[in-house]
Amino acid sequence: MDILYLLIPLSIVAMLAIVGVFAWALDGGQFDDIEQQGAAIFDDDTSSLDRHQRP
Amino acid sequence: MSSSTLTAERSVALGEKGAASDATSVATFRLGGMDCAACAGVIAGAIRAIAGVDRVDVSAASRCATVRWQASRTSAGAIADAVAAAGYAAVPDTAAHARAMRRDESRAALWRLFVAAFCAMQIMMLAAPSYLAAAGELAPDLRQLLAIGSWMLTLPVLAFSARPFLEGARRSIASRRIGMDVPVALGIVVAFVASSGAVFDPGGPFGHEVYFDSVAMFVSFLLAGRWLELRMRHRAEEALENATDQIPRASLRLTQAGGIESVATDSLSPGDRVRVFAGDAFPADGTLIEGTTTTDESIVTGESRLLAKSPGDPLIAGSRNVDFPVVMRVEQVGADTRYEAICSLMRAVRTSKPKLLAQVDRWASPFVWFVLFAAACAGAVWSVVDPARALWVVVSVLIVTCPCALSLAAPSALLAAAGAMGRRGVLLRRIDAIEAMARVDTIYIDKTGTLTECRREQVSAVFAPGTGVDDRPALEALAASLAGWSTHPLSRAIAATYPPSSIAWQHVREVAGRWIEATDETQHRWRLGAPPDDDVPAASSAAARVCLSVDGEQVASFFFDEVLRPDAASAVAALQHEGVEVRILSGDDPERVAAIAALLGVDGVGAQSPDAKLAAVRSAQRDGRVVAMIGDGVNDGPVLAQADVSFAMGDGASLARGEADGVLTFNRFADVMVARTLARKALRIVRQNFAWAATYNAACIPLALTGHMPPWLAGAGMAASSLLVVTNSFRLSRGPRNAHTPPAADVPVPS
Amino acid sequence: MEVGEDVGVPTYTDGPVRNFALAAVLWGVVGMTVGVLIAAQLAFPDLTYGIPWLSYGRLRPLHTNAVIFAFGGCALMATSFHVVQRTCQVPLFLPKLASFVFWGWQLVIVLAAITLPMGLTRGKEYAELEWPITILIAVVWIAYAVVFFGTIGKRRVQHIYVANWFFGAFILAVALLHVVNGASMPVEFWKSYSAYAGVQDAMVQWWYGHNAVGFFLTAGFLGMMYYYIPKQAGRPVYSYRLSIVHFWALIFTYMWAGPHHLHYTALPDWAQSVGMIFSLVLLAPSWGGMINGVMTLSGAWHKLRDDPIIKFLIVALSFYGMSTFEGPMMSIKTVNALSHYTDWTIGHVHSGALGWVGFISMGSLYYLIPRMFGQTAMYSTKAIDLHFWIATLGIVLYIAAMWIAGVMQGLMWRAVNPDGTLVYTFVEGVKATWPFYVVRLVGGLLYLSGMLVMVWNVLMTVRQGRPTPAAIPQLVYA
Repeated sequence: MDILYLLIPLSIVAMLAIVGVFAWALDGGQFDDIEQQGAAIFDDDTSSLDRHQRP
Repeated sequence: MSSSTLTAERSVALGEKGAASDATSVATFRLGGMDCAACAGVIAGAIRAIAGVDRVDVSAASRCATVRWQASRTSAGAIADAVAAAGYAAVPDTAAHARAMRRDESRAALWRLFVAAFCAMQIMMLAAPSYLAAAGELAPDLRQLLAIGSWMLTLPVLAFSARPFLEGARRSIASRRIGMDVPVALGIVVAFVASSGAVFDPGGPFGHEVYFDSVAMFVSFLLAGRWLELRMRHRAEEALENATDQIPRASLRLTQAGGIESVATDSLSPGDRVRVFAGDAFPADGTLIEGTTTTDESIVTGESRLLAKSPGDPLIAGSRNVDFPVVMRVEQVGADTRYEAICSLMRAVRTSKPKLLAQVDRWASPFVWFVLFAAACAGAVWSVVDPARALWVVVSVLIVTCPCALSLAAPSALLAAAGAMGRRGVLLRRIDAIEAMARVDTIYIDKTGTLTECRREQVSAVFAPGTGVDDRPALEALAASLAGWSTHPLSRAIAATYPPSSIAWQHVREVAGRWIEATDETQHRWRLGAPPDDDVPAASSAAARVCLSVDGEQVASFFFDEVLRPDAASAVAALQHEGVEVRILSGDDPERVAAIAALLGVDGVGAQSPDAKLAAVRSAQRDGRVVAMIGDGVNDGPVLAQADVSFAMGDGASLARGEADGVLTFNRFADVMVARTLARKALRIVRQNFAWAATYNAACIPLALTGHMPPWLAGAGMAASSLLVVTNSFRLSRGPRNAHTPPAADVPVPS
Repeated sequence: MEVGEDVGVPTYTDGPVRNFALAAVLWGVVGMTVGVLIAAQLAFPDLTYGIPWLSYGRLRPLHTNAVIFAFGGCALMATSFHVVQRTCQVPLFLPKLASFVFWGWQLVIVLAAITLPMGLTRGKEYAELEWPITILIAVVWIAYAVVFFGTIGKRRVQHIYVANWFFGAFILAVALLHVVNGASMPVEFWKSYSAYAGVQDAMVQWWYGHNAVGFFLTAGFLGMMYYYIPKQAGRPVYSYRLSIVHFWALIFTYMWAGPHHLHYTALPDWAQSVGMIFSLVLLAPSWGGMINGVMTLSGAWHKLRDDPIIKFLIVALSFYGMSTFEGPMMSIKTVNALSHYTDWTIGHVHSGALGWVGFISMGSLYYLIPRMFGQTAMYSTKAIDLHFWIATLGIVLYIAAMWIAGVMQGLMWRAVNPDGTLVYTFVEGVKATWPFYVVRLVGGLLYLSGMLVMVWNVLMTVRQGRPTPAAIPQLVYA
């Protein structure tokens, strides 16, 4: 299974990248105030089209 | 709803030779008057429009704004003014520091947990082939590759995630006290070093077994337990902070010139006129002068009905303005408000350290020594019997016996119980009170007002001789008007019975539980309250009596018939059913006390002096009883201190100056029963936790010593044990909601 | 295609969104038609008179590429460009590059449609396109990534909505997978050899293959789900916190499930076992996401009755749940011993493809297309309902037929006489399967008919509307 010599280092690099992204997200405040972010998408369209879509 | 971030273009200072390192200030402001997400946008726009502002973050949820600006071009004051000009209030947020610390703590913990868990998952994937492959199926170099990969992934776990344990162990060794982190740290380090040896020198002394997956899993589970505990603690702190933050830190004060300025609530003084928005809490005690609205005073008085307020009506600090914005005049601020008293109580309890924990700590040290000793012995024995396994047995012993369950057993339960009690209106000053509360078998009640309430239908007025018949309604109305300023039950009864006249009272002063005084428009000083001490009661002695006097001369007395509170009878019955003796030990009128006592089926004596009460409590304690005292907290300092646990019922100032262990904020005797039940449940859970921790250790240590427990199982077992303890304690936080008991039929007290 | 600023008020860059949405509908019809054709060929092998360009072996990869990359890809690009703009409240980064992504991708599709029937193939599943097209894909994909992440980079809303995380992961993962699996040695303009050989190549191929399913067909469409379900239902996601946990849990576990495609092959036993274990582990995060999406309707279940778009979206999630349960079950070695190489695998693929991918795309496009043409609803809601019921019936027929066929094949192939000889010859198994091929063909025809109803509805909607620039909310300007 020599291919593992490629796949394992590759996935370790990918892993470190993922950890880095998580760090960036955490420090950038992406996980603060989580609860109301779900409702934010109802503010993104002020066109008259969707006024009646608001919850 | 949403939080908007505006990233203003970096101000290109054309022609301005600002220094390249222009000092940048950052501050958080608390906002007032926000009631919708659109407000966030308006405020953000107003701040952004200021020259020199680099970045604005407005959070509608936490009602604060974080602003970054260049110090040379604008200031915090300018920002606050801009917000005020837009119709809102902003003051620098002093509580931001605590919140920021909590947030950083939470982030760091989440970070560590994520790295550990993520790496553990990946290491498990790399380790799985070794477990699954039959002998000879996995080529040695491939096995080596997987092991090196695991080693690399364990490095961040050790260097970063496990740091709290390693630091903790280092600190405790440096201070020559063996703490709980020592076996944990030792286990982790030994396992890692030995596994590393096995990877890079398979033929060497460490053998060829690698246990990186155990190390990573073990660290992950430990961190998970700690993170759960952290969240519980943060949530309790947040709840306390939210309660104490009812009063907005910033208020909009109307200036003499007719403008508006934003000021810190702390700097308000009597006479200030303040605009209060719908949804905000009133920043101080005062009078409504413009507008009409309804208010919610439940957090301060337990009164759940909304009250209609018109100009001239009194407003209580901390109560909530429900419907419409109004203007109020400030009469009393700060420490004199009932609200502030409750808050200081809450702040005190956060910093107290229970005796129970101190006890646990005493046991911890010998236990840890025992663990280290056992591990060393096991290592010695096994190195003779089967050297290849010696190291792993030592690691297993160290890991499996981690006394984390023990250190979590008590604190998690007590904290959860305190939180549950707080939600029911029982605020504790010391967490120790929980333990005492659970053991209470005798309750002394000082204030009959704890058990009774005054019905407005039964108020009757007696006037001083010489008072004209036509003057009587005016006096009643005046009394009602003055009474409206007090939250005392008797005052409220008067205020509800007679239609109040609209008098612009000035210099209102209240001595809690005694009287309320004010000056009317003709500069006469009126007082409504307890009869002068040397007065001989004129009428029936069984009812409560309130005197109205002007400039020292008594003009009227109001008499009340009392009824038992509906919850009092059932609470007393329930307590007696549990074997708790309830006695009234009061300084109130003996006949009244006897009547109430008879109704409840308890013993009662009246006219007790503070010394007599103290003697009674001491005597009961000498008999081996555990005594709880329920009073108003003002006059009975020594008695309250003597009792094993004491609760105060009453209003603001008395709480602040009192010595009680806890406060029944809703003035309900039934809450005593609730507190006791919760306390007993908490102790039961603490005992369960300890029992589990002990059983688990007793079972697992022999298994580890005899080599039947591989490190991965030791780690999993220890983690599961900790999680079990924490979730068991969680059961307390999900106690019954604060349900108001439905009113039962009133039982009038015979006069 | 508007850039926006000249309208006076900034507007979103919806030109590429519009184009991709319509292209998705077009390629959906094409891909499904080819699918129907090859299903018919399995039942009636002489259908196409032996014409080489219409032979089954060449058309099958055309079908898979068309439905996955043309239909699915355009739907993902349309919705990701739409969602990233709306949730970040900025127009697209480098709008001209976004245009390039559109036209480049259409070129890829057209080239695939030409080269695959010509028999030019690398022979690797879902990676058949020869090396020049592979390079083109890489270039277009990098442009796609630049536009998407650039738009996030210049966002005005600080929080990055969860859908964008799924889209972002899908884009990056596909880039990695495509490059690694695409590594090959060209020998002629239209011929190359894989950089890997034998069982090593198989391992890379199915590492790619399964992760392509996981990231292209799952993570990407979960991004769609997390935006369009709340929008159509008018309620936020049931638990936003859970959606974040869902995302990270999925990222943790997807990498190692690949070997479950290679049970009982030359792949070492332990590698197969690793694949099995982690496929089972994948069940938990997948179902967490499904429950989160379905429970978004909590308190508004009546919408399921009244709104056919919601029907598409929620039923899509049920099929997602079904497939993510069926998949791990099939990756258990004992089960796989029966199911491998049978039509059960086809049934599994199509419940996921028709049920999850197809329905979530259709629901999302039904939400998106009217809004791209200045309206809030499609021309005919009844037609959406009709589409839903026809397509659902089609799916049910399809997968039921394939389940029965698959289990039957597995049992027949492994039946042995007491003396060790096989009971059935292979052709007997084929004969027994034939009726189910016909039923499957009917199912596929129904599904295609539903798609044609959609085409009619889309044409009517486009005809009566006009592309309207959508203003970006001005919350930030007081």
